[in-house]
Amino acid sequence: MPLYMTNAAQGVIDDAAKKKIAADITRIHCDVTDAPPAFVHAFFVEDAPHMPLDDKSAFLLGSIRAGRNDEQKAQIIEEMRQSIHEHAGLQLDDIQVVIRDTPASWVMEGGDIMPEPGEEEAWFTAHEAKQAAENA
Amino acid sequence: MTTCNCIVQAGQISGEIQAALRAGLDKFTQEKFGSAAEIGWVEIPPGSGYTANKPSTSSIVSLAPGEPVEQSARIEMLQELCDLWAGETGCTLDEIVGVINDPA
Repeated sequence: MPLYMTNAAQGVIDDAAKKKIAADITRIHCDVTDAPPAFVHAFFVEDAPHMPLDDKSAFLLGSIRAGRNDEQKAQIIEEMRQSIHEHAGLQLDDIQVVIRDTPASWVMEGGDIMPEPGEEEAWFTAHEAKQAAENA
Repeated sequence: MTTCNCIVQAGQISGEIQAALRAGLDKFTQEKFGSAAEIGWVEIPPGSGYTANKPSTSSIVSLAPGEPVEQSARIEMLQELCDLWAGETGCTLDEIVGVINDPA
């Protein structure tokens, strides 16, 4: 978590563009939130029925840990739309980006409940110590 | 029904393991929530999944039971869920994201 899942019409985002957009998604999320890149998942699917495109060609749903403010979310939305526009060649109004909050306490990654925003450093320290103890 | 959405990397989980996971998830939701698992299964095509800006080997398993879950119970369930997934797939816990949502 975060999970950024992009659904697009078949063929409109090729693999080379996906790689560039995934790099941008990771960079943008980390720049805006100060979260570590290790947590960032960027996945792409095509014509997925569970993510209706409606009248768009691409729909990016970002499920992020709750606690980010409206300004941060607006920046993520704008910069990720721009990335898809630049790399896939889609018009901006043909791209929808939505951010959805998920409480960190609902999510487990690496066998541990996710840290609240801003508590990542302590989480990694504890997580690595736990892994070292398990491997000793 | 307890909705259970699974997102996996294509080619990472065989049909046999998927069947075992489906059975295990159904047993899990029956035991914990008293309802069958309504499983959604999404495979991320090759070249389409990235974690930490590298090709991903991560799986996401997200449950949406019909009732709120107390936090200490949620943690125990998540540990059991992630252990179930790791046991069936051979993935490490670092490759598994488990989520148990409360109703909106």
